[in-house]
Amino acid sequence: MNPKFEGYANPGALVDADWLQKHLKDPKIRIVESNEDVLLYDTGHIPGAVHIDWRGDLQDNTVRDYVSPQQFAEICSRNGISPKTTVVFYGDKSNWWACYALWAFRLFGHKKVKILDGGRDKWKADGRPMDREKPSYASTTYPVPPKRQDRKIRAFFQDALAFSKAKKPLIDVRSPKEYTGELTHMPEYPQEGVLRGGHVPGARSVPWKTAANDDSTFKTAEELKKIYTENLQLNPEGDTIVYCRIGERSSHTWFVLTYLLGYKKVRNYDGSWTEWGNRVQAPVAKGEQPG
Amino acid sequence: MAQYPPNLEEIVEFFDNLSEDEKRENLIAYADAAPSCAPKPGETFDLEDVRKDAECTDTVGVFLRVDPATRAARFRINLGPHVQTLTKAMTAILCKGLTGATPEDVLEVPQDFVPRIVGGQLIRVRSQTVYYILTRMKGICKVWSQRQRAAAAQGPSSA
Repeated sequence: MNPKFEGYANPGALVDADWLQKHLKDPKIRIVESNEDVLLYDTGHIPGAVHIDWRGDLQDNTVRDYVSPQQFAEICSRNGISPKTTVVFYGDKSNWWACYALWAFRLFGHKKVKILDGGRDKWKADGRPMDREKPSYASTTYPVPPKRQDRKIRAFFQDALAFSKAKKPLIDVRSPKEYTGELTHMPEYPQEGVLRGGHVPGARSVPWKTAANDDSTFKTAEELKKIYTENLQLNPEGDTIVYCRIGERSSHTWFVLTYLLGYKKVRNYDGSWTEWGNRVQAPVAKGEQPG
Repeated sequence: MAQYPPNLEEIVEFFDNLSEDEKRENLIAYADAAPSCAPKPGETFDLEDVRKDAECTDTVGVFLRVDPATRAARFRINLGPHVQTLTKAMTAILCKGLTGATPEDVLEVPQDFVPRIVGGQLIRVRSQTVYYILTRMKGICKVWSQRQRAAAAQGPSSA
């Protein structure tokens, strides 16, 4: 095992590229690429990897919500995933969407999940193999999960509002200018339709990037503990809600807190700022202070 | 005049008849061709516009040469490495599709061809930068046209 991983609360939640390259044909694992760039998988991917699209596959495309347990089972079946399959996620943007897909798999109770440390960017930068062949796996019979575990790892508007009023831990992982309200979109991105800028009153600003190195790998356990447990004084046993704009960057922080630091009750508010910043009468704080 | 310049019309009609999977395959082929749209050694241009805008993930350089006799435009486009695949594909499509059109024709091109090329599955809020390259090409044509008008207004001696 990569010595860096030994310091994490769940060392098995990450794999490094050396490990993955040795397991490309391991029938017990399925490698899943999930990206923001909708065509990136088609330009080349880790050999044997399947593509699961955060929008087309995991989200209901009518209601702003996730697919049903039945649809999730179908996605797994057609990609040759059974409940016993270890799913290794990776993707672009420092694994934002890989973490998002992992979080969505956890919503449906799939337990064997891992992230490739460094994601697609590092794999490619290291000159590791890529190919364009789309693999085909024998369908599995994935049992339909009895329910989606929305209450356990997912937060809704009313939950975030209650946390705001009670001054419970809310972490805003967007960029500093989105937090202050100076920007209503991510730097380098188009406006995604938000009417108000600012943050949820009481939320603390800890951009997702704080947890990542420049090569897209996660920071060490010691560095992460210093950021979240010591400096921010988050309680590993207490409730925490994380949010961003649509829940993808906050999935990265959710993964860090839940898997790498072992926090027990972290929820991702996937409605995030595109819900809060458009909601009539939702309170908004501006500036650098939590408010 | 057709709705789009002839070369673009041909590309749009080609994509119109493709399934979503075939659209993907052809978009990848165009994206692969994007590096060939960059300026070649020795080429000269009337205008160059290289910048990094807030709504795009990397630097994009647009280069325009207009034939003084026919007013036919020739575009070159240079993309930074972090530009998304759809933007790369649209670069190659537009360089091919708008070559030979006049700057005035380019300014009149409507955006509604983009969904016909890209298809329903790939259009999403975060992919709106597929429109970005066309906007930049129109921008450089607008500047070129304004300069032409200004030069014409000043008379032949200073043109």
